[in-house]
Amino acid sequence: MGSRRERGGRHLLRASLCGLLVVAACRQGPPALLFHAGAGQRSSLDEIAAVFTAQHPGARVDFSYKGSGYFIADIAASRMGDLYMPGEEYYLLQAASKGFIADYDPRTDIAAHFITVIVTPRGNPKNIVRIEDFARPGLRVGLADPEAAAIGLWQEKTFIRAGIWDQVKKNATMFAKCIPELGNAVQLGAVDATVVWATTAVLYLKDIEIIPIEPRLRGLIRLPVALLAFCKRPELARQLKALILSDQGRAIFHSHAYGIEVGPADADGFCADDGSATALDMKWLVEAARVAKDPTIPVTPETVGHLVGEVNRQRLTRW
Amino acid sequence: MVGSTSVLSLSQKSQIKQIAWHGLFGGIGALLLLAAVSLVVVNALFLGWSDFWHYLGRPRTWSSLWITIWTAALATAISLAIGIPAGYALSRRRVPLSGLAHTLIDLPVMVPPAAVGIFLLGVFKSFPAAELSTWLGLQVHHAVPGVVVAQVAVTLAFGIRLIKASFDAVSPRYEAVSRSLGASLPRTFFSVSLPLARNGILASVIVIWARAAAEWEALMLFVGGIQGRTDTLPFAVYLDWNGGILGWSLTNSLFCVVIALGSMYAVRRLGGRGHVY
Repeated sequence: MGSRRERGGRHLLRASLCGLLVVAACRQGPPALLFHAGAGQRSSLDEIAAVFTAQHPGARVDFSYKGSGYFIADIAASRMGDLYMPGEEYYLLQAASKGFIADYDPRTDIAAHFITVIVTPRGNPKNIVRIEDFARPGLRVGLADPEAAAIGLWQEKTFIRAGIWDQVKKNATMFAKCIPELGNAVQLGAVDATVVWATTAVLYLKDIEIIPIEPRLRGLIRLPVALLAFCKRPELARQLKALILSDQGRAIFHSHAYGIEVGPADADGFCADDGSATALDMKWLVEAARVAKDPTIPVTPETVGHLVGEVNRQRLTRW
Repeated sequence: MVGSTSVLSLSQKSQIKQIAWHGLFGGIGALLLLAAVSLVVVNALFLGWSDFWHYLGRPRTWSSLWITIWTAALATAISLAIGIPAGYALSRRRVPLSGLAHTLIDLPVMVPPAAVGIFLLGVFKSFPAAELSTWLGLQVHHAVPGVVVAQVAVTLAFGIRLIKASFDAVSPRYEAVSRSLGASLPRTFFSVSLPLARNGILASVIVIWARAAAEWEALMLFVGGIQGRTDTLPFAVYLDWNGGILGWSLTNSLFCVVIALGSMYAVRRLGGRGHVY
């Protein structure tokens, strides 16, 4: 009888231990800012958050990284979060139309720009030099689904403006759901050429070649940041937003191949000058892809400009 | 003479057919094994030692591993705490509207995990889950508890299924004998039914744990990848792939395989069957 009671006691003990474990696991740390951000912005935002938490001891930034297409459903259902930085202004305006955005000024709240570039597998085996080459019969072109990824919309806009959209569609061998799919496909040689953001291209320096697009067809895509309507700590959130928009924050974005001084854009978002504002950025991208492949060239601001960090990181490993 | 030759050749023919038949099936089996082994070996070679060590030296690899292990373990404990009574009840009791009950329980197995994630968003913003979490002072969305909740939501259903199957395999006659000797219902359950279903339940534990550790779609929608807090291994695989760091994704993927192998081996050592079905 005693053993039975003992056994019952042990079960009770185990159950309460489990309960304790649950409660302990669920205890929260210090209050944090919840930041919904496109997964593509991770490398820059993590660096900015490190600067921010060093400046604000006790504060924490929790990033909820995901594909930009997933945000609206999440925010609509959870009605949570302090800051929002999707990978395209389109998503932010969508959220704003639903009343989720507290304050957003399209003139000032642009942290950086994505710039479109052509990428090909290492060595550029099909000798692609300009957008018109995408119409060449038999070329395996990587496209993205415009419904799922902003880059898909931009590819369509670019090829329509170049007057070759119908031929390019025939050449398409993949319709990616997100931009890393395209980067990965070029890295592994699954397609001969595609158009991506410079920020995507810079991730695969050792395995791809980067070809700047002529200014008339060069897309300058705005990367916005805004406070959400449900923001619980607006004071702190504004400080983080200010850091992102500051010279220090923008320099961090620049080091990951975002454009920060991109010059004027036309109504469709294409480069409206002769390309001189982004010319240097394009030059360093091409150089970075060359230097990353050749370990004999030193990695310095003289050889790769602002992309020293990216090239050094990628030299450490094969993949 | 002619007849005996033909008989001999007939038996030879059937023997050849038999060998071919077994060879075909054995060959397909062997190919499958080879594919499973080469999947890991080829990827390990592709990654290379130096990259593997490099990413192994990163603290985030280990934090992801640790998050995966403990959240999946907690999710498994919760799934078992609910799954054992529920599985037993489904196995032993006649459930009213049993067809409907079974369908409802199976629902999360059939519904895509992404949909489960979206439903969870709604649940934790409505009564009573919203009030309960506020009262307890814990945030579920976009926080670590959400990881466990998503894992439980996805794994509970087939946890119950597997545990029910384990109890189905135990003859109710043993329980009847135990009762006739004067043992109470709880004592019969803990001393007879549960120990007899032990191996099946142990096997279920691996499946539940491994599935919880592998979950990421519901996580992506319900929680999001908060680096160092909610990025379990599968989430880290996605985030690193997204960031163009193929090597880190591969390292974490290989870790997932090692975990799966390790847990099966552990269960075998513990006396379970060490395989799932």
